[in-house]
Amino acid sequence: MIEAAIPLVLNAMTLISILLIVSLGMAIIFGLMNVINLAHGEFITIGAFTLVAVQSVGGGFWLALIMAPLVGYAFGFILEKFLISKVYGNPLHAILVTWGLSLILQQVIQLGFGAAPQPVNGPFSGPVSIAGVLYPSYRLFLIAAALTTFAATVVVFRKTRFGLDLRASIHSTEMAAVMGVNPDRINAHAFAMGAALAAFAGVLIAPMAAVTAYMGINYLARSFFVVLVGGAGSIPGVAAGSGIIGGLETVLSYEIPVTVAQAAVLILAIVILRFRPQGILPS
Amino acid sequence: MTATPVRKRRFRLPTMIAIVLVALLAMLPLLANAYALNNYRDVALLGLFALSLDVFWGRTGILSFGHATFFGLGAYGMAVTTIQFGLDPAWASLAGLGAGVLLAAVVALFVGYFILYGGVRGAYFTIVTLALTLIAGHIAVGWSSVTGGDSGLIGVPPFSAFGYTFYDPVSSFYLALGALALCLFGSLWVMHGRFGLVLKAIQDDETKVRTLGYKTQWILLKTFVGSAAMAGLAGALYVTGTGFVAPDLIALLLSTEVIIWVAVGGSGTLVGAVIGTAIVWQLQVKISSISFAAWPIAIGVFFILMVLVFPKGPADWILRRVRAWQRKEKTS
Repeated sequence: MIEAAIPLVLNAMTLISILLIVSLGMAIIFGLMNVINLAHGEFITIGAFTLVAVQSVGGGFWLALIMAPLVGYAFGFILEKFLISKVYGNPLHAILVTWGLSLILQQVIQLGFGAAPQPVNGPFSGPVSIAGVLYPSYRLFLIAAALTTFAATVVVFRKTRFGLDLRASIHSTEMAAVMGVNPDRINAHAFAMGAALAAFAGVLIAPMAAVTAYMGINYLARSFFVVLVGGAGSIPGVAAGSGIIGGLETVLSYEIPVTVAQAAVLILAIVILRFRPQGILPS
Repeated sequence: MTATPVRKRRFRLPTMIAIVLVALLAMLPLLANAYALNNYRDVALLGLFALSLDVFWGRTGILSFGHATFFGLGAYGMAVTTIQFGLDPAWASLAGLGAGVLLAAVVALFVGYFILYGGVRGAYFTIVTLALTLIAGHIAVGWSSVTGGDSGLIGVPPFSAFGYTFYDPVSSFYLALGALALCLFGSLWVMHGRFGLVLKAIQDDETKVRTLGYKTQWILLKTFVGSAAMAGLAGALYVTGTGFVAPDLIALLLSTEVIIWVAVGGSGTLVGAVIGTAIVWQLQVKISSISFAAWPIAIGVFFILMVLVFPKGPADWILRRVRAWQRKEKTS
């Protein structure tokens, strides 16, 4: 009994961790800043391809794990200055601009690296034994990394000056500006931070995924739903949303094909939103 | 000046353009060869698809990012019914048409009920419909015993009804044009009437319209389902022309292409959607011939330009440039 339960729980934990880490950036950009960013999947892709690039010049996984957030941050910062800052307050324009960006990034990455899935190496190989059950060690690392990142993000938002400024700026941009918080600067850093988190997630999931230019799209809709179901505007909501969506998907995919399970979970999420539009853990 | 004459003129112009357009298209078989005619048939049906999006997006202001779902459901409904069930060929096409349109309408009814009555509007509606296309695409690829998976289904028979088969290019072109004309004039008539005015009012301020006693959710849902059924019709007829169905008919890229077709023609004008489709289709043929990657990049650049340079659509942008230039001529 316990031998069967442990892999199920660990598989669910793995998927929940993946969703948690890919949705954290979304929770900042979409949940807090209210910018609908359809290029979020490509930020994840950029992270994964940072790993590909670092490994192709002889660097290792750990170097990429440090490089990717920096690349993501720089990219997000520049993007916010030139594009995203023009579309605040107009969701339709944000959708169109970021979707256009997503299409361009996909093609540019594909032209640069080719269409075939890229080989990447994780830092650990082989399984470890937990209570007599063998489980891939990389997955355990992923779970730990996701929980650590989540905790760190919560701390940044609750305990640092930047977090306070950001929360104030979101609550009332005008009042925050009167109190000496520069909203342009805060927005740029928040968006860049969301992009950095997505790129970080990209490196972490790369050893478990097929690394192609289109990999990001798989996470786009699910991370939107994680944030919507969890409650837009709340970081703890991301954990609740990932838990529900990831847990259900794992349990369902034991019984029905994975694609159908994903579809069923997204349909369920639509139903949840009908009855609880503000999400499960609203801010 | 009273408001009535202005309203009359504004309402008549699109109808006149539509009549001229359909008349011109009807003369195409006299000029074009069989190969070109098949292409024009596809464009007419894609134009019908664009029209279906414009009925909802242009008139309610709510952007659906998942309209390819309904086009694809129509296409798969037709293909699966005619290929997988072994029906009597005399009736298979009609059954397929019914199945495709019904499938699109039922899915729209279900999804539309949950999100429109759930108060999901604006950008959130766009995200949910985007997810809808992804779900539908997943199912089309994953459920390969029915849908043929990645490679799709080949061998959809040409449309036939009441003993007549629309086999040759001329008759199948007129079938497509007939469907387009019917839906175009039908939507123009509905949208210029009372229903269209209520929709326009909802776009301006839904709460006010509800205060006046209109069940706005029900009105929006009806429009959404009608629009989806029209997209399903376009999809079902489209596959009888091409003969095969593949997952790219239900993909996110098609959902976004159709937005461009409508935007180029000017959203809300209905007839503009059809004209926009024809223009973009010509461009696509030219750009795709340069490189396979060039077309998605062109779409991406278009979206960014659309927001930063011409938020009301290229037609409006050009018109305003021309007007400004005329004014300059007059003053100098």
